[in-house]
Amino acid sequence: MNKTLLGYVPNESPIYAVHPFVKLYFLLVVSLFPMFVSAPDWNIILMVVIILLMWISKVNMSTLKIYIPVAISMGTIIFLSYTVLGGTHPEFELLARIWGINFYWERIRDALVVYFRVLPMIFTMVFFLSTSRERDIIVAMRSIKVPFVVTYIFAMALRSAGMVLEDFGIVRQAEKARGFDPAGKSIAYKIRQYVMYMVPLFALSLRRSEEFTNALVARGYAFTGKVSRVKRADYILTHYSYKYFDYIFIALITIAFIALLVYRYGYGYFQVDQSWLLRLLRSWVS
Amino acid sequence: MHVSKIIEVQDYTWKYINTSVPALAEINLTIEEGSFVGVIGPNGAGKTTLAFSIDGLVPGQYNGVKKGSVKVFGKEVEDYDKGELQQLVGVVFSDPEAQFTAMTVEDELVFGMENIGLSLAEIKERLEWVTELTELSNLLMKPPYEISGGQKQRVALAAVLAMRPKILILDEPTSMLDPVSRGRIFKVLAKLKEEENNTIIVIEHSLENLVPLADQMILMSESKLVLHDKTQPFFQQSKMLLEKGAFPPGAMLFFHLLHERGLYQGEYPLTVAGGAELLRDLMGK
Repeated sequence: MNKTLLGYVPNESPIYAVHPFVKLYFLLVVSLFPMFVSAPDWNIILMVVIILLMWISKVNMSTLKIYIPVAISMGTIIFLSYTVLGGTHPEFELLARIWGINFYWERIRDALVVYFRVLPMIFTMVFFLSTSRERDIIVAMRSIKVPFVVTYIFAMALRSAGMVLEDFGIVRQAEKARGFDPAGKSIAYKIRQYVMYMVPLFALSLRRSEEFTNALVARGYAFTGKVSRVKRADYILTHYSYKYFDYIFIALITIAFIALLVYRYGYGYFQVDQSWLLRLLRSWVS
Repeated sequence: MHVSKIIEVQDYTWKYINTSVPALAEINLTIEEGSFVGVIGPNGAGKTTLAFSIDGLVPGQYNGVKKGSVKVFGKEVEDYDKGELQQLVGVVFSDPEAQFTAMTVEDELVFGMENIGLSLAEIKERLEWVTELTELSNLLMKPPYEISGGQKQRVALAAVLAMRPKILILDEPTSMLDPVSRGRIFKVLAKLKEEENNTIIVIEHSLENLVPLADQMILMSESKLVLHDKTQPFFQQSKMLLEKGAFPPGAMLFFHLLHERGLYQGEYPLTVAGGAELLRDLMGK
């Protein structure tokens, strides 16, 4: 298992044989699937498929726990938005009234539908981040002829984020070395003290920006002028080539997406009222 | 043999905006092609600004007031197009962390070469050359945050070398490194001196590795160039160096102290090994 700026990736994985563009294509297209699917059942199936893909790709499942807070906070925000902050709807079926707040079946159902749309999107992103190094993203973008300057700015943003994290670690260690230990303190205290971190971090970031710019100039890079018009060779792309299975995967993802659209809009599949899971829940709460 | 002057600095003064004193004042300096020059001096003496001035980062990237002239290959630095001067002058900075602009060592090494428009074949050839020279072949796929400080500095050096600049400036390249990593950087510089005809300027506080390689030395103090001479006569003026806050290597200092006490009158040895030899000869007398 290797640490990346974006998560953890396995040391060895069959997915490394796949061209980075295919992984990016999977992310971009498959994360659209839930937008056309209202019934949570299908979205749960999609999540199971993604978990299977992670397992095949030898992703260390224990590292995925870093994403659990994201899933929980998303779920909480959605549930609160649809129920506590969902307003009064006399036309909906009232299930319960707690502390003056009305809990309607329709609002809970809608919250579930939205949550089970968001979750597969998160799963798709997690799958991508757990199988792709930063370089893969850059290669994927360059392989579809995204302008160099765009991919480079993206890479610099990733690099800068990594540097800020490293600097944050240094500042934290420096604070700890001077006896600052937030363990066991209140959240308000921690927030107050974390603001303290921001001052040196901000100063460091300014210095880094200057050094970073100097490093770019020293490497002969210029956004404008004669040098910026030099025809660039893309050496990194020479390490990557499309194999026959890359085309198969791209075709499969595309066909799956087209089929989804046909079934959704041609035959009316994936609707809320077709969900057996919601029917089961409905009968359980009534 | 005709040796051309590739760096000519005349009556050069540079003052950063919003500062009261110039960072460099009335500098006159000529450096010939193929020289290996060491630059020493206390912090704030203007060493980095001098390096930046030769690479065009000053005044290109900084606001300030310039007087006098800084010519590289006979042309004023401001007269070069953006990125053009950097193909001739390569700079390695002191903080290896801040020099990484890419996501893997290999990306970092090829970035500069792509910038100057080299072909894939040329990039491949230079990449092989530079990774062998700097012993980085096994790190090519590593991201920057997974390698040590010494390795990062070698990557920074290799990234600049791969662009094959005529002039190479290293600004305190080993200030954040342990003695082993420091030795490896100077090993690369020794190879460059031996095998290539680069002009190399090294700003450095740690002199043990630098002195045996340097043909000339420069002492900077309080924004001024105080002394510029061949390495041996330069260190014969150890008294002045000490007064200006620059400390000669231990072996030299030892013989300087002997000289101060009237026990030794000859040339100071440049290395510890040279010092040991000299001491043995003296003891034998």
